[in-house]
Amino acid sequence: MKLKIDGKETEVKPGTSILGAAQAMGVLIPRYCYHPSLSVSGNCRMCLVEIEGAPKLVTACSTPCAEGMSVLTASEKARAARRDVLEFLLINHPLDCPICDQAGECGLQDYYMEHGLHKSRFPQTDKVRRHKRRDIGKHLVLDNERCILCTRCVRFCEEITKTDELCVRERGDHSYIDLKPGARLDNDYSLNIADLCPVGAFTSADFRFRQRVWFLQRTPSVCAGCATGCPLEVHHKDNVVYRLMPRPVEGFPPWLCDEGRMTYKSLRAPGRPAAAFCEEGNLKPAAGLRFAASRLGKLKPEQVAIFGSPFMSLEDNLALAELAAALGTKNFCLHFNTEPGIKDGILMNTDHSPNSRGLALIHAVYGGYTREQFSERLASGEVKFILGRNEEVKAALNAARTDIPSSVFSFSDEPAPGRACVLPAAGHFESDCLFINYAGRLRRARAAVKAPEGVLPVWQAADRIASMLGAPIRLETRAAVLERIKAKIPELADAPLADDTAEFYLK
Amino acid sequence: MKKFKFSEEFNRKVAPTVARYPRAEAALIPLMQEVQRELGHFPDEAAQALAGLLGVSYARVKGVLTFYTMFRREPGGKYLLQVCRNLSCHLAGSVKLLEYLKGRLGIEEGGTTHDGVFTLITAECLGACGTAPVMMVNDDYHESLTVEKLDKLISDLRAAAKAHK
Repeated sequence: MKLKIDGKETEVKPGTSILGAAQAMGVLIPRYCYHPSLSVSGNCRMCLVEIEGAPKLVTACSTPCAEGMSVLTASEKARAARRDVLEFLLINHPLDCPICDQAGECGLQDYYMEHGLHKSRFPQTDKVRRHKRRDIGKHLVLDNERCILCTRCVRFCEEITKTDELCVRERGDHSYIDLKPGARLDNDYSLNIADLCPVGAFTSADFRFRQRVWFLQRTPSVCAGCATGCPLEVHHKDNVVYRLMPRPVEGFPPWLCDEGRMTYKSLRAPGRPAAAFCEEGNLKPAAGLRFAASRLGKLKPEQVAIFGSPFMSLEDNLALAELAAALGTKNFCLHFNTEPGIKDGILMNTDHSPNSRGLALIHAVYGGYTREQFSERLASGEVKFILGRNEEVKAALNAARTDIPSSVFSFSDEPAPGRACVLPAAGHFESDCLFINYAGRLRRARAAVKAPEGVLPVWQAADRIASMLGAPIRLETRAAVLERIKAKIPELADAPLADDTAEFYLK
Repeated sequence: MKKFKFSEEFNRKVAPTVARYPRAEAALIPLMQEVQRELGHFPDEAAQALAGLLGVSYARVKGVLTFYTMFRREPGGKYLLQVCRNLSCHLAGSVKLLEYLKGRLGIEEGGTTHDGVFTLITAECLGACGTAPVMMVNDDYHESLTVEKLDKLISDLRAAAKAHK
């Protein structure tokens, strides 16, 4: 059906709201309670628009377009109404902005500058006072005074997590957001509420008071918390990551789970290795690699074992496979048993590793032992040297139940060194890398911050070790690694590996 | 939270009440009213129990319960006195009536007498401006009130309450 918005003709499907139609044309109608992923509530009245010929203004979010309608989104009448709505919303809003974490990304601040700019007609001492700083859940702090009762949080708990923790209590200017006495807002997606909240009522306990949002740089990346691989944005400043936020991408819900949001913590976790921990003591990262190479140089190929991991990127696993080939050992494993699937109907995956599909691709090309066969190989006692990542190395050693081979080198971007020599490795927010999620979708993680000095991603470390042994694998640069991936893995031959925007699915 | 047990009479009414509406949730308010009719108020434990019964969340029941001022969350007296304080009644002297009641019953607005007979609250317009000032005693209207009429009414109610005991 055809209609006019601000004098311009547009055509929409029947049932489209005025707000949706305007947005498709690039006209942004202000809103608080409307959220594209939640049901329409129509309570904030901020999206009022004028329809020519209609006696009253209508809410753009809840009014469907009609044939021949002529909508004015910025007429004098509509603007005046918005100004008045905003004044009502601000009557009882505290002047917290200097200490409010929402400042800089606050709907009230933004629309005040755009539509309000009025002086308050009410003395500050007359404002309705409410409960502040409520410790409401593991990740959230609620400030009832700042709330404008848009009910996005209530609808999120009703419709998305279906946990129904929140309700609006009382009515009129007595109303406030509350939850059952004694209950906590502890669902697996609670931090999305801090994002949804258009004002500073819900704030993240983790991010609170740590950084002003306008100082943060944003790097688009993906979550490596599980096989779902949700798109996210890394917010960082001066080489420190402060928070992970959802990044809206077609085909993904605009949420992140709380667990995924906390994955950045491992970057600065106490005890994260920034040096190589070996029996010789702590070595600088480069010296750690030399030490590993010197051990390797003394051994026969069949005494060396190399372990790929679904927790490492395509690049890392490819480089380890190439290293195994260059060393001429058959003792390598690029295999992982998993049954991925969304376990809660929202985002969280049964498979906690971000790259099991990617590992399977490399396994298909390079072969190697399965996990079970590999454990048997390690148990045979012939193997004297293991190179892999923490999770696998520890699990393999436990499963094999033999004495530790003389040298175990474990790449790790986490604390928990286990029983091995630890070689520090760059985390996935510290290097550009590729994953393939459970649905076969190519995921590109971007380096947002720098790794500690001298700490390399695993693929680069593998390249260095190979060079030191005189068996170069020629993967000095990431471009070279991507070339090798395209050359070796037929499924990825045409994949736009370096292009950040192009979507790619495995066939 | 204590476990709440509905009366047998209430349980008998659930199915026919729910059947009157297209969705079970729509029976929420009539069933809440039923609980209040039986107990004189709607306790918090009943919110949890009713939520389970209708398959809605506790938060939903709590939201409805606190939104409507005619649901009483605390136990009150046998007789709920609601004095209208809106414009017509105000002009016709409801202020004086309220003062009289406070004095005679020895309670403030929202209070309940020690013997548990009266609870006194004010109400907005009761829709009987033609016969202002008006007061409701439970579900009954008492119109064109004067202090003398009120005095007799209170005495009668006291006596009735005593006779029931």
